[in-house]
Amino acid sequence: MAKAIAAVVGALQHGGSLSAATDYDVSLMLAFQKGNELAFQELVERNHTRVIGLVYRFIGDSADAEDLAQEVFLRIYRARLTYKPTAKFSTWMFRITANVSLNALRSRASRRDDVSIDQMADVHEGPRAIPDPESRMPDEHMHQEELRTKVREAIHTLPEKQQIAVVLNKYEGMSYADIARTIGCSTMAVKSLLARARDNLKDRLLLYLRTGRGRQRIA
Amino acid sequence: MTPPTCHWVRSVLTAYLDGELKPSTAQAVRRHLEHCQSCSEHAKQLEQAWETLDTLHAPPVRPGFTERMMARIVEEKDLEALEERLRPDRRLRQIVAAVSGLAAGLVLGLAAYTWTGLTAEPASPVEREVCRNVAFLEDADLVDEMAVIEAMDRLSGKSIAEDGV
Ligand SMILES: [Zn+2]
Repeated sequence: MAKAIAAVVGALQHGGSLSAATDYDVSLMLAFQKGNELAFQELVERNHTRVIGLVYRFIGDSADAEDLAQEVFLRIYRARLTYKPTAKFSTWMFRITANVSLNALRSRASRRDDVSIDQMADVHEGPRAIPDPESRMPDEHMHQEELRTKVREAIHTLPEKQQIAVVLNKYEGMSYADIARTIGCSTMAVKSLLARARDNLKDRLLLYLRTGRGRQRIA
Repeated sequence: MTPPTCHWVRSVLTAYLDGELKPSTAQAVRRHLEHCQSCSEHAKQLEQAWETLDTLHAPPVRPGFTERMMARIVEEKDLEALEERLRPDRRLRQIVAAVSGLAAGLVLGLAAYTWTGLTAEPASPVEREVCRNVAFLEDADLVDEMAVIEAMDRLSGKSIAEDGV
């Protein structure tokens, strides 16, 4: 398989655009566009771990992460005829990943909104209520899993664009400029998105930071 | 140059921590943090909260993702073929063909009916040909529907034969 693709990619790199020559995944996508399905297969092979990881960070649920990652590659497959190599392949792929993940979160949220009034009363009195510092403070017993839940909740309470900026910056190590290209805004806007996001995260997670317990476990 | 205010430092602190400031601006922030305890405490908390996000490790990936994905692509191709068959313009052309076929059949049938002297059975070769064509055009839809059902069955992994058992 690798040989067949290398031949196509080689041909593309000689006659293809600059971005195709510098981004191997773009070359694969262009080869796929010309009908080489092995190129698509290699795209999946090369990128699925990153996509699954990103989806997981967006939705916080490993059970659904694979299904949604499949959805991402399905969209890439369907876009083969209209695809244009105007940016890095990863920029395009991460935009699709963010869209698929946030759509899934939205439909989950709307399912939650469908619960009956009785159930809603429970929800508001139950664990969703704002934690009372006095009763929730025995952080000595805070488990790693509990901390993860808090982190997930903190990320999910951010506005959508802040969520995307945080996930791409934190877990993909993307620069402000690359994030800007991914979500289609200016670098200045990303700067302000991340500043607000990190302030929000600090405020939400401060309670669990004060004891230092969580940090010890991370280190 | 006037020394930066705490308010200004806070507004660029995240970009500073991310290494996204120009060297000269970063240096101004660094100097402020050396002397301002409140801002340096704020910076420390921002960093600590950010580190907490490291607890969300990526989940282990089940082996065979690519194979499962390619199997899904096979299903996708079946679906694409099905959609192609059901494209509205194609359906419309079929309906127009069937309706005009029927209309032509009726006109010719009526003419033949009158011409053969009010016989009930189609008599002439032309009339019989028209009747056969009308039946075929009506069946065209049926043939199409069968193809759809078969494609659906293929997608759901069971055959029509199994249905009959
Ligand atoms: Zn200050």
